Parts: sequence; structure tokens; C-alpha cells
Amino acid sequence: MESLNSLLNGFAVALTWQHVFLALMGCFLGTIIGALPGLGPSNGVAILIPLAFTLGLEPTAAMILLTSVYYGAMYGGRISSILLNIPGDEPALMTTLDGYPMAQQGRAGEALSLSGVASFVGAFFATWGLVFLAPQLVKVALLFGPAEYFALFTLAFATLGGITSKNQAKAAFAAALGIMIAMVGVDGQTGVPRFAFGEVHLYDGIDFLVAIVGLFALSEVFLFLEHRGDGTGEGKSASVGIGRITPSWKLLKYCTPTMLRTSVIGFIAGVLPGAGASLGSFISYSLEKKMVDKEGTFGTGDPRGVAAPEAGNNAAAGGALVPMLALGVPGSGTTAVLLAMLLALNITPGPLLFISNPDVVWGLIAALFLGNFMLLAMNIPMVGMFVRVLLIPPRILMPIVAMISFVGIYGISGSTFDLMVMIVFGLLGWVLRKLDVPLVPVILGILLGNNMEDNLRRAMTISDGDWSVLLGSPLAIGLWLVSIIGFVLPILLGGLIRRRMRMRRDEVGAVQD
Amino acid sequence: MSDRIFGGIGLLFALLFIWAAFHIELSFISDPVGPRTFPIIVAIVMALASVVIIIKPDVKPQWPRAARLLEIAIAAGVMVAYALALPEVGFLIATAVASAFLTWRLGTAPLWALVSGALTSIGIYTVFHLILGLSLARGPFGF
Amino acid sequence: MNITRKKKGMLLASLALLASASLHAYEPENPECIAPADPGGGWDFTCRQVGKNMQDIGAIPGTLQVTNMSGGGGGVAFAAVVNKRRDDNDLIVAASSATATRLAQGAYPGNDMSQVRWLGSVGADYGIIAVAKDSPVQTLSDLLEQMKSDPRSVAIGGGSAVGGWDHLKVLLVANKAGIEDVRTIKYVAFDGGGEAITQVLGGALQAYTGDASEAKGFVDSGDIRIIAVLAPERLDGAFSDFPTATEQGIDVIGANWRGFYAPGNMSDEAYDYWVETIGKVYASDEWKQSMADSGLAPLDLQGPEFEAFVADSVASITELSRQIGLIK
Repeated sequence: MESLNSLLNGFAVALTWQHVFLALMGCFLGTIIGALPGLGPSNGVAILIPLAFTLGLEPTAAMILLTSVYYGAMYGGRISSILLNIPGDEPALMTTLDGYPMAQQGRAGEALSLSGVASFVGAFFATWGLVFLAPQLVKVALLFGPAEYFALFTLAFATLGGITSKNQAKAAFAAALGIMIAMVGVDGQTGVPRFAFGEVHLYDGIDFLVAIVGLFALSEVFLFLEHRGDGTGEGKSASVGIGRITPSWKLLKYCTPTMLRTSVIGFIAGVLPGAGASLGSFISYSLEKKMVDKEGTFGTGDPRGVAAPEAGNNAAAGGALVPMLALGVPGSGTTAVLLAMLLALNITPGPLLFISNPDVVWGLIAALFLGNFMLLAMNIPMVGMFVRVLLIPPRILMPIVAMISFVGIYGISGSTFDLMVMIVFGLLGWVLRKLDVPLVPVILGILLGNNMEDNLRRAMTISDGDWSVLLGSPLAIGLWLVSIIGFVLPILLGGLIRRRMRMRRDEVGAVQD
Repeated sequence: MSDRIFGGIGLLFALLFIWAAFHIELSFISDPVGPRTFPIIVAIVMALASVVIIIKPDVKPQWPRAARLLEIAIAAGVMVAYALALPEVGFLIATAVASAFLTWRLGTAPLWALVSGALTSIGIYTVFHLILGLSLARGPFGF
Repeated sequence: MNITRKKKGMLLASLALLASASLHAYEPENPECIAPADPGGGWDFTCRQVGKNMQDIGAIPGTLQVTNMSGGGGGVAFAAVVNKRRDDNDLIVAASSATATRLAQGAYPGNDMSQVRWLGSVGADYGIIAVAKDSPVQTLSDLLEQMKSDPRSVAIGGGSAVGGWDHLKVLLVANKAGIEDVRTIKYVAFDGGGEAITQVLGGALQAYTGDASEAKGFVDSGDIRIIAVLAPERLDGAFSDFPTATEQGIDVIGANWRGFYAPGNMSDEAYDYWVETIGKVYASDEWKQSMADSGLAPLDLQGPEFEAFVADSVASITELSRQIGLIK
């Protein structure tokens, strides 16, 4: 009850004209930033910080603006995932898997609006979680030591099998490639450079945004060049229809259990400071697939495959605010920027924040609710506008996508070297696509590889090289069990499912014939 | 066959990676696992995956004809030139030229390609620089 | 009509020019600050906060444009300033102890501190060593005793890589306390101080090494207890209850300073201008307030004094790194 009272006070803080206007502006800018490949939530928030300073906003107002941008970007990322098969930001990666096939089937509008609703559900539940569970959840976060984090990352990779490719060997290859790319740069544990060949630019490692934009956006341009004019390619606009722009109730009802489950999973992943939104959306998708995908339709345009990662990543975004506000520990790149912003505004996040600055915290939470409704209200009607992107002929659209990718990277890092790396990734992405090697595991490897290794080594340092520490707590053992089940079950059941899939495909084929 | 070659390259790459991992200079202070172990484990996974790909290849993909391969190579070359030119000639000019080229190669008529390139460049400049305030490459003319 | 207006305008402009010329020999046209990291980090905020302050007190014309140039732990920006922008008079670059540490350890290949001009500092963040509130360790000597008798039982976490500043601080203390082989000290690197503190609270680590400002939230709430502050005197405010290392007989000072450098061929007029401007920022009440709020301690060094200070810290870090074998 106390929380509810505080929340009401929060609404009193948030509901001023200025704050509502800022939230609206933040949501809008955030959606755009999220949708542009190369600009993700963390960069989006960072580049708008000067705006907050220039406007001379007081702390609450500045935080409302920036968290609206944050939530908006989490919504926006899905747009280019679905329409262009290019993730607008890293948490939207999984949305390409079913979102783009849906668009290809002429259901772009439906996919966009469904994912908008899923984003809303995820963010809505996460915000409630923030209200009621923040103090308790902090204790959960403390249960995760290095050994537990290592088990968690192993779980993510163990459940990878069969999600992104029919050919398991290629999925494993792709994941290994991603992790190997992540190894480039100065080793955080001992400070020695690895695989950098004396090149200073490589000492910080390869930025995952550079890799995402190269692998997805530029390779798309190359693919298009290859198929120009021959009509067989994965050309877009001609074949991609818009379809209805609101989801039917039936569809929403069909996806509701998925959204609720993945909201919970995503939220928990978000709360863990070492995990973050990408892991949230990934585990949401893979566990949901394991749980409900009996017919093997995930990956071919299953609406649940769109709802799962979107609910998951938006819930994770809300969850990531828990450790940031309650511990002062950022769980993701974006919350790191928000945290720095709070510090710049002379507010110290940490265990006392809820007591020492209740107006900021509860005003912020109220603004999140507000922003969430705004985003839903904004995103459903805007679907009609977004899908018109597909009416632009690809010969014009593709160069724009390429140039936006370049600008996004150059504007943030100011480095020609990064652009070169991006072009290399573009060519690599083209080759991998030709060979039917999935790109998603590559990105996951780049995103999670370092964390996985660092936590293994931290655990081993603390235990003095005793490997049994990896099974040192019930939590770690539980996570290992889930990963083993997730890894072994598909292999045991794989034959069975594949047989059933084949039968089903025959049936579908028969109907189409 | 393509998959077999790919698997072979993958295997070679994994072995090279392991070789490079053994040549990581160790620091005076090191943790029990060390900076070499994990990369080597991952490279072994890649090598195993490559072997499986060699043994069980998928159907051969359709590779483009040589002319189209050249086309892709030229496009990549233009992108490299663009990256190098950005800090020299500034954002607007470089972007207009590069996107005009790309849209021309994708099938837009040459004149329209120039118009589209210029509009793309100005549009992106407006959104990223004027609205979002990102510092884009500044050329000799200040834009 | 037109002509006269134009003339008048020109006259005004030249007057203004004359006026400003008499005040300063040099005034930047496009003042720019390079943050050698992505947005959101410490260097980024040094640029942005100082830039905002410069603008607020009118120390520079217009705004200070912040450019992010990440890579190589600041090495990319350093190389760019040395190679490409060495004559730029309008440019300043954010730096900190991390810059000095990397220069000292040769982590910017082919570069050294004499290739740029050091402008001034805007404050320092003193190091601390802390334990969880229910830890049996009460004082710094308790911790050091335990490290001596059973070195493997104490895992210390911090936010920098091995060989980085958070690590070096512990080694300095241990070295002073007579631990010869610093390799026995178990240091665990995390991505930022906050993550390390969480692990101290969760019980995976026994102690935390970091900067005072990083730990402020947890100190205020009483979740962690500082056993040593690596400052010459006790800090102000909430930190005043905690003893310095020097008080406990370990004479170690570990300051993570923040400041700026400028291109090596910057003209003397421009150099003086920036030194003076940074001095103005430092002296302003607004800056004093933001220092106090973010837990920064005073460190007021400008121009040649600052240059000497950086040279000193580079030399002592080089010495220490060589001693413990981090560099040859």
C-alpha cells in the first residue's frame, strides 16, 4: 500500500504540462532513434543528454525525458527488424526471426501492431514490477555471483540449438565466430591485448553495433545488388504487402499467454545487472519456442515469435531500471548512461535513492507508465505510416539504409576505422547469408562472449582455480540443469519433431497444390 | 561443394585462431584460467562445427555470375572510398555522391540518381545533425 | 540605406573584434572537446559538465562542442590529436589518471606525454578500500594481516582491468605494508565499480577498491564500510568518519584526477587562454557545487604545474609497474 501511495504522489509529480510534453517528445524521438539502424537506446539517450542540459531541465524532468527516449527506443527497434530485416538496435535482434517472415507474407502491419502491443505488455508489467518488487529483487540480483552468471550465459548458448537455423552445425559455427570476434581487444582480466595485431583501434574490441549494422544492413544492400532486376531475390517492396494494420482480437488472445510468460522472463533477466535486455529478449524467444513451438512454425512468421522477444526485451528494459535505481549498478549500456546522467544531476543512485529522492524515483516511475500508454497510443496509429517505408522502391531505400548505417556509426564514434570494419562485416554477412549460416548467433556471440568469459574467469580467480565452484550454489546447479535440458532435449526429441514437421509441411504443400 | 569449402576455411580459421591464442603474450600477473583458455575452447567448437559442415554439407547456394560479383566488389570499394572521403570532403558531398552511386547501380536512371543522392544526403543531415545534434564529418565548407 | 546599414554593421563588427582582441589575444571560433570514449563514460562527462559550466559562466563564446572518439582506452584519440590535429587551437581533450596509467605502461603505442600540452585539472577522486558492513575486517591492518597470512582468502574487486588504476592502488598499499610478491594478491576485474560493489555485498568478494564517488550511494546507506581513504587528509561530508591510510601507518595517496590536455603545437596564446578558462571553471561556485555533489575532491593545478604533476604521476606509475612486473 505504501508503494501505491508513493506512486500516486509520483503521478502528481509527473502530470504537469511540462513533464507530459517532455515524455511525449521523448517517446517520439526514442521511437525514431530505435528504428534507425546504428542508433540504439544507449546512444539515443547519450546524444539527447546535451538537449536536456540545453533546456536547463531540473532532474526529474530530465530523467522523464531520457527514460521516455529509452522506452521509446525499445519500442522503435522492432520497426526496422520487421520491415527491413535489419535490427534497429541489439535487443530487437530476435524480432527479425519471425517479424520479417511475417512482413514477407504480407502481414507487416499486423506484425508491427502486434509487437507494439507486446512491447506495451512487457513494459507495463515491468513497471509494476519496479513499483512492488524493486527492494526484494535487489536481493535476487545479489544471489548472482560470477559462477551463476557464467551458468546463465551458458544457458543462453545451450538453448541456441535449432532456434535460428535448421543446420545445428552452422548455428554453432556462427555462435563460435561471434564469441571469437568478441575476444578481440584488451583482455579485461589481465590487461593484455588479444588478436589485435598491434592495431590500437582494436584494443577496445569490436563494437557490436558496428557488427550488427554491417552484418544486417550492408549485407542487405549487397544482396540486393546481386539480385537487381532478376526478380528472384529477396527483393522487398514488390512482394511485401502491408496487410491489416491492427491485430485481430483472436490473434491477441492467441499471443497473450506468450506475452505474459516472456514478460516475466524478460523482467528477471533485466534485473540481473550482468545480463541485460538482449539476453532478456533472447531467452524469452528461445524458452518460448521450446515451450510452445510444437509444429516448428517459429522462424517462419509465427506471431508468437514476434510477441515473445518484444514483450521480453521491453520487460527487460524496465527490469534494468531496478539495479540502476536501487543499487546504482547499470544492467545495460543504456542504464549506464542514465546513471551517469543522474550523477551529473547530483543525484546519487543507490540503496537510499528511494528514501532520499522519492520525488525523482516515483515521478520517474509514474512517467514510465505515462510514456508506456503514450507509446502504445502513438505506435498503433503510426503503423500505417511506418509500413509506407515499404512502398519506397528498394533502389532508393537501400542506399538510404546504407547511408544511415554509416552515419549512425560515424556520428557516435567518429572513426573511419569503424566504418571499414563495418564494410568487412557487410561482405562477411553477405557470404554467410549465401551459405545459409544464421547471423543472429554471431551477434549473440559478440554481445555475450566477453561477459561469459569474464565471469568464468572471475569465478575461477575467486576459487583459486577450483572448477567445482561453477556448481557451488543451488542456483548455479539449477541453471546448469536448465541448460542441459535445453541442450539435450532437442537432440533427443529432434528426430521426432523433425518427422512431425515434415509431415506437416507435406500437408501444407498438399493444400497449396 | 560450397559448404565443403566453407567448412575448410572455417577449420583453417579456427586452427589459425588457436595458433594466435597460443601467442597471446601473458601478463606478469595472471588469473588461474588465463587469457588463452577460453578462446581456444571456442575455436575448438568452431573447428568441430566446421568438420560437421564438411561431412554433411547443405545444398549448394546459387552464386552470382562474375559480372555481379564485380558489381558487389565495386559497391564495397565505393563504401571504402566514402569512409575515407568523409573526413576530407565533409558529410553532405560525400554522402550525396556515394548514395547517388548506389542508387544508380540499383537501377535508378543516372539523373534521378543524382537527385535522390542529394535528397538522401540532405535528409540525413537534417535528421541526424540538425535535429539530433550528432557531430557529423565537417568538410572544408563546414558541412 | 542598405549601404549604410551594412557599413554600420561592419563597423560594429570590427569594434567588437577590437574589443575582444584587447581582452584576449586569442579566442576560439569552434571550441571543441574530445571525449576519448563513447557517450556516458567518465571522460564524456568531464567534457560535458565542464563544457556546460564554461558556457554558463560565459568563459567561452558559444558552446563547447563535444566529440566522442572512442578506442584503445583513449589511445585512438591521443594518436589522432598527435598526428592529425596537432596545430588545432580550438581543441581540448578530457584526460584522467587512466590516461596517465596507460601512457606510463606504454599502452598508447608510439605515444608519450610530451607530445601534447597539459592544460589543467578540475578535481580528483580519491581512492578507497571498503568491505561489506558485516565483514569481520575492521581496519586496513586487519585486511593486510589477512592478506599476508592467507593471501588466497581475500579476493578484492574493482572496476578497472588488471594493471589499471583500481588494481594499482591495492598494490601500492600492499607494497607499502611489506607484501613483497604482489602477485599473490587476488584482484578480480569488473566492468565498473558498481558491479564490483554488488559482488562485495553478495559475498563473492571480500573487499572493494575504487573511487570515493563510485561508492557514495553505498556508503550513505551503510551497506559498505570504508576501511581506508587514500587521501592526504580526511574527506568532507559523509566520508569524514573514515580514516585515511596514512593515519593507519600506510602512507599511500591514490588520486584519480580529471583534467584536460591540448594538441602539442597549440599556440602559446591559445594555451594560455585554455589554462585560464579551465582555471575560471575551477574557481566558479557552480563547479565547486558539482564537485561536492559528485564526490570529487579539490585538485587545483594549472599550466606548467599540472604538466609537472602529470609527469610525476606517469613516472611513479612506470616505476611501480616495472617493480611489480607489469612492464619490462
